[in-house]
Amino acid sequence: MIQIDSEAWQVMVSHAKSTYPNECCGAMLGTIDGDNKSVKVSVPIENAFTGVQHERYELRPEDLLKADREARSRSMDLIGIFHSHPDCDAYFSETDLKNSCPWYSFVVLSIYKGEFDHANSFLPNAEQTEAVKEELKY
Amino acid sequence: MAKILIPTPLRQYCDKKDTVEVTGATVGEALNALTSAHAELKKHLYNDEGKLRSFVNVYLNDEDIRYIKKEATPLADTDTISIVPSIAGGR
Repeated sequence: MIQIDSEAWQVMVSHAKSTYPNECCGAMLGTIDGDNKSVKVSVPIENAFTGVQHERYELRPEDLLKADREARSRSMDLIGIFHSHPDCDAYFSETDLKNSCPWYSFVVLSIYKGEFDHANSFLPNAEQTEAVKEELKY
Repeated sequence: MAKILIPTPLRQYCDKKDTVEVTGATVGEALNALTSAHAELKKHLYNDEGKLRSFVNVYLNDEDIRYIKKEATPLADTDTISIVPSIAGGR
């Protein structure tokens, strides 16, 4: 289960709305206790995809490294990645799966007409062939 | 000794350490030392052909080793290695 604190959640939704109609992305920092993950801080990261960002996002590894360093400096862990799906549902697409990493939770926010609609969290496998849904609370 | 920073989900395979100190003249030797000491870690970083998984990037301090000498990149005792995944997607 992944629980996102109110302030961190507001940052994610606000980032997804402000980047609409493009996809947004970012990192989630927090703590892990067994299977329970708690997101305390969300870090918006620039979408580095060089094509049409309405349908794609890409994180620069150096930006992710920076987020990981921030987590360590605040005695937290990098526990997840978030991105938005403008004008479509919060599913884990084939493109998401083929470019995923099994180490983190992936939260997808559905934004319709610039407004938040719903969200889901996924856990992809190492072979990038399957992602199971994870309970998400916010 | 050089340091390797371990991503949170992989710490369970190296005695819950967030940092592992290793010796090695190159980044490749350091990664070998890491996966020799913590065998469970290997399959999470390398594929069946023994190559780093496609989503695994290795940074030496602030530089991606792909743009230096890849796994043959020389390593000093004061260096820090970070393991950073490639992540992208879209609807």
